Amino acid sequence: MTPIKRQSQLQSSGHSANPVQRAQVGAPYLANSGYKGPAGNAAMVAETDRLNKPAPDSQTDIQLVRKVRRGDTAAFDLLVIKYQSRVASIISRFVYDSQDVLDLTQETFVKAYRAIDRFRGDSAFYTWLYRIAVNTAKNFLESRSRRPQGSVDVADAEQFDEGERLRDRASPEQLLQREQLAAALQVALESLPEELRSALLLREYEGLSYEDIARILDCPIGTVRSRIFRARDAVDRHLAPLLDEQGGVI
Amino acid sequence: MSEVNGMDERLKETLSAMMDDEADELSVRRLLAHSDPEALRSHWHRWQQIRSLMHDEVPQVLPGDMAQKVRASIQGSLAASAEVASESSLPERGWRLLRWRGSAAATVALALLLGFGAGVGWQVSPVAEHGGELAVHADAAPLVADVPEIPLQGLDDQQWEHLSRYLLEHAQHNSVAAGRGSVGYARVVSVSSASR
Repeated sequence: MTPIKRQSQLQSSGHSANPVQRAQVGAPYLANSGYKGPAGNAAMVAETDRLNKPAPDSQTDIQLVRKVRRGDTAAFDLLVIKYQSRVASIISRFVYDSQDVLDLTQETFVKAYRAIDRFRGDSAFYTWLYRIAVNTAKNFLESRSRRPQGSVDVADAEQFDEGERLRDRASPEQLLQREQLAAALQVALESLPEELRSALLLREYEGLSYEDIARILDCPIGTVRSRIFRARDAVDRHLAPLLDEQGGVI
Repeated sequence: MSEVNGMDERLKETLSAMMDDEADELSVRRLLAHSDPEALRSHWHRWQQIRSLMHDEVPQVLPGDMAQKVRASIQGSLAASAEVASESSLPERGWRLLRWRGSAAATVALALLLGFGAGVGWQVSPVAEHGGELAVHADAAPLVADVPEIPLQGLDDQQWEHLSRYLLEHAQHNSVAAGRGSVGYARVVSVSSASR
């Protein structure tokens, strides 16, 4: 079984990845897709270099924030779910007690909801949320007359390696669960029809837009959109029992 | 169109596009409006988890439903603040309104009393003493119990003329001053003119 390399980060998630790394990631699964990577296509080099520029704010985030401002709480739920793990990871850089981390994560989102009208969109929503999380954690420590246990710069928000410190704190059981999930993911990806797998991996590992993927796979954008959805749905069906069983582990 | 796990395929495709920042505003609106909220959260959560897994992100352990906790906390604080607001602001507004109306009524009553005081030899008629009198009230007068009612029935011609002239002058004066009380005076004047 070919191991899956999972090193790159999505542009839309605020992460940037080395173009060479991105070209290598997912390569075994993209061999038949017609995609030769940045080195194999000069036009695509320009396209992928474009992706290295600072990512604009997520369109989805902006849409959801707009809905939240109009009183749509379901939209805020989606923002919470999307960022809860990352916010918890930021806070865990300051605070070590897991219950405190949970409480402060919750408090961060409540503060964000109350202040959502003051979000001007000058920065990405995640950067704005990141600042609230850092301030919430620092205020918590000050209220307990303790100095911050860790330090992070707001500028790190976009490149934050999620929960790195927690890697060492995971219990053996959690590590085992994670390995099981990774193995199940690999099986799920391998069992996907080629056209679905290519579309999903170009999106997830290369961070390409639907338009770029459509150009590579030589098909309409609507087809790309449909293929990515069907791939995601198939992987979800495969992993859902494990994910549900393990609750909030991931 | 098939429907699986509380969400139809088209809505799930929109959700998938949202994962990739490729969904348009209208589709997002439709998704939020027509999806089963629980199914929507569940799919979104699992797909985010799968993405984290694909990128080998070390997850934070978050037992329970954080979104639900946040929502409960927000709703709890909103309910509490609304309760406090209803307890404080409504009586406050009510008192303010009552004070304003009371002031207006007191001003009208005082003006009328002064007007009557200016008349010579005015007496309350026997008819008025026995009830059945027509009382003139300012617009807000009923709100104030202690404002005396002025009986107008039984006034003689001289008293009517004096009162009418007085009210007309005040109406003219207040219309120039543009005070809110001018409306009340004008009405009284028109009533007195018509009654004559």
